[in-house]
Amino acid sequence: MGNVPTKLDDGSYQGDSRTNTSVSSSSNSNTSAASSGNRSRHASLVNAILNSGSGGAMGSPGHSRNVGPYARKSTREREEIKERHAKNLVVKYDENVDGGFMAPFGCYSFDKLDYDSGIVRGLIVNRKLAPFYTPLQDFDDSWSRMEIIKIVDGLPLHASFNENPEEFEDVPIGNLRKPNFDYLIDKSLPKKEKRRLHSKIFQARLYRKRMLWQEKANETFLEHKIEARKNTSKNKYLPSDDLKYELYKNGSECPICFLYVPGPLNLSKCCQQPICTECFVQIRRADPHFPHEEVDPTQPVTDDSEKDPNLLISEAANCPYCATPDFSITYQPPEGRRTGLGGEPPYKFTSQSQSAVENSEKHGVLTKESPLVEGDDLKPAKSVHVIMSDTIRPNWEVRLNKERMRLARRSANATAIHVSNRLIDPDYNNDGSGNGDSSPVGTNTSNRDRSDVTIEELENQMLNEAIRLSLEDKKHSSSRQRK
Amino acid sequence: MASLPKRIIKETERLITDPVPGITAEPHDDNLRYFEVTVEGPVGSPYENGIFQLELYLPDDYPMEAPKVRFLTKIYHPNIDRLGRICLDVLKTNWSPALQIRTVLLSIQALLASPNPNDPLANDVAEDWIKDEEAAKQTAKKWSKLYATPKQ
Repeated sequence: MGNVPTKLDDGSYQGDSRTNTSVSSSSNSNTSAASSGNRSRHASLVNAILNSGSGGAMGSPGHSRNVGPYARKSTREREEIKERHAKNLVVKYDENVDGGFMAPFGCYSFDKLDYDSGIVRGLIVNRKLAPFYTPLQDFDDSWSRMEIIKIVDGLPLHASFNENPEEFEDVPIGNLRKPNFDYLIDKSLPKKEKRRLHSKIFQARLYRKRMLWQEKANETFLEHKIEARKNTSKNKYLPSDDLKYELYKNGSECPICFLYVPGPLNLSKCCQQPICTECFVQIRRADPHFPHEEVDPTQPVTDDSEKDPNLLISEAANCPYCATPDFSITYQPPEGRRTGLGGEPPYKFTSQSQSAVENSEKHGVLTKESPLVEGDDLKPAKSVHVIMSDTIRPNWEVRLNKERMRLARRSANATAIHVSNRLIDPDYNNDGSGNGDSSPVGTNTSNRDRSDVTIEELENQMLNEAIRLSLEDKKHSSSRQRK
Repeated sequence: MASLPKRIIKETERLITDPVPGITAEPHDDNLRYFEVTVEGPVGSPYENGIFQLELYLPDDYPMEAPKVRFLTKIYHPNIDRLGRICLDVLKTNWSPALQIRTVLLSIQALLASPNPNDPLANDVAEDWIKDEEAAKQTAKKWSKLYATPKQ
């Protein structure tokens, strides 16, 4: 994995309480010290060390000019990336390839579409991945050509949106034309609450925007269809009747979504099972996790902060059909149906050209059956491209490292808070060493001797922790440079 | 999610038209993602002749996420705990969207035929199972008779 593009910082980073998502990302050491209220000066010292430790290695906070996958992005930047991604997910009728589209129909929820939309669009245009087709709920072999064309004519570009999703109920969205929506947030709220509200409003606004963008694309599609029907002048992006028929007469049911889509489908590399692109982009690595984690519901869950963050792992997705590791697919584009981007205009497509190719295809099949016929028909089998699940989500390594850093910071914070608490109150957590462990802070250092630690030793501990953090961050930044 | 994905509709239909022997699964009237399930104890196992009630729920992200399944009938099994939760790989890390309700229920039935006390969920049961398998099987048989016998 060479250079990992800075794409779509997904929500995993948002849960990080130490990320500066607020607008004012400067002077964080002061504010966090102030928020710790009446704690002794040591608390602020701890915070100061921690902040300078992480902040220093991450590049000066507040200036997010530095690029690269680990660079801390401002809220604005992250939101812009998300909006760009959402725009890439709008299905537009004039962006078509071989009768399919560049964006998914909408069988799966938006927040699961966190693949790299730029990469996927590129793969579709280059015929290395099947396009996203509009699926049919059912298909009947007895349908006539006329019936199929009629059904295809009535297909929408995208699944219908839920007008008022529950999660955004009562969330104000303000004027969508104005990029700034700070006026919707009560300024007297605490900073954390404001941040939470900001993110919620942003999501609600994005949802609404996506809906409007798609509706606009739908309207354009409809208008142009009506125009094309009235006038004799053809719209070159709209499919001919022959194309509609060709597409859907030879489709098949995807074994994962059970929807009927035009072929050819992508095939798993390991076991040659079909999978539609909409389902393929759903197959992803599991979130970073600790190995062999026995999730035993009868036991209290061991806090992640107690484990070494460097033990976190991330494994490539397995094939859903045969569980072979490193799931990847191959795709053979239709030979007689090269329309849309990089092909002939869809309105020009005729079955004539198709049947001619079909014949040659049949010959191709025949010749293939007889072994060792030299492949002079420009069909070298080696040219098949393999698309890995990771190909369309190349940011997995960045995510893994970010998660490791997040855990490292969190455990350090817990240690620091614990240490500073002990400074104020020497008896802190000392009375009930048996049942005091339920406090998350207490568990963190429960194995250490609590009673006779001097201030100096504590200072040392804090310093060590801070240094360890800096080293960790340095390691990341230097390994990044090496790549 | 307002509308039910086609996959769930089709799976439900196929469960009815082409049922799995020894297993029933019927969706709830109010919530088509919630299924009432019965599984017959496999022949030759301590659960033979027992009919076990389970509940199955398809989460929003199904089939990208595994169905949630739980035994409602009390059962003495090292991989099923007192609350009916099941320790089965395909319900957790080895879930695949190519699996279905039908395959999951078959796996659960197979788990009844071959308990795995070395990867326990109910620790006490697993301990008994390892210490004295015969006695544990007797207990399982007794429980099946007690709790999983269909009422006439």
